[in-house]
Amino acid sequence: MNQSSAPAAAVKPLNILIVDDSATMRALLHRVVGLADLPIGTIYQAPNGLEALKILETHSVQAVFTDLNMPVMNGMQLLREMAKRDSWKDLLRIIISTDGSKLRREEARELNVNLYVEKPFRPEVVRDVLCQIAGAQSV
Amino acid sequence: MSFAKSPALNPSDLHDALQTALIEVSENAYFVFVEPADHAQFADAVSLVKDNWLKVSVAFEGSFAGAVEITMPEPLGMWLVTSLLGMQAHESLEEVQQFDGVGEFANMVCGAWLSRLSDDCLFELRVPAVTRMTAGWSPIAETNAHQEVICRMVTINELPMRILIRAN
Repeated sequence: MNQSSAPAAAVKPLNILIVDDSATMRALLHRVVGLADLPIGTIYQAPNGLEALKILETHSVQAVFTDLNMPVMNGMQLLREMAKRDSWKDLLRIIISTDGSKLRREEARELNVNLYVEKPFRPEVVRDVLCQIAGAQSV
Repeated sequence: MSFAKSPALNPSDLHDALQTALIEVSENAYFVFVEPADHAQFADAVSLVKDNWLKVSVAFEGSFAGAVEITMPEPLGMWLVTSLLGMQAHESLEEVQQFDGVGEFANMVCGAWLSRLSDDCLFELRVPAVTRMTAGWSPIAETNAHQEVICRMVTINELPMRILIRAN
């Protein structure tokens, strides 16, 4: 597990969990999230679904960005585990994956995934996703 | 299993999808531009490489199975990763970061290629395997007998890169 804090913000900071087996992708997402002009609280990181579940069980997180292809526990397995817990039903789920197939997107929809971002992505796409999240949170 | 047994796939589709995937990944994520190279241009670029080569392989399984294999000189790998992460030219990378970053490059190319081939097929990608080739190794000398292969040669910032797709 790895974590760091962005500068403190005045209102309702978002705690975010980034799940990807590539440290490079986690670093990239961390940087992109930091560039968004939003109140970000803590950015947690996990290299697979199992480690992500441990973080979710012990920390308050509002949004999960997850890859799909990962060792130990993949992204779909993580989302299925998350779907079993009523206390996580409002948690925002964002997939960031190279797999953009229609079948995978349908599978994701059934698991209440809010957004599906296909790799490669432009940084502003993730920034826009965060703005949507912030808008939904403030309603 | 071979690509030929896969429904609705022909060599032209495979090549076009690979070209599109490579350009999208390089330009959108790594902010670098890809120049196609013919055999002579590729050989010229290879002859100028004095550094070791990296070979990155991503195996995949699904409607058909195989592996995407990308070879590049080490400085190109370094450049790709620093570009992706927005690092300054003077910042250095540890080997583990460099390998992880070039592995992700191959992962993205493989995933983007498969997504463009078929919207109705599911594939599982394995964790990228990155190898530093021994001194003197060259992609020109490597033979690819006994395996169905799609090959694309390009240069990025005048450095050569070869993308092979092998079928199991």
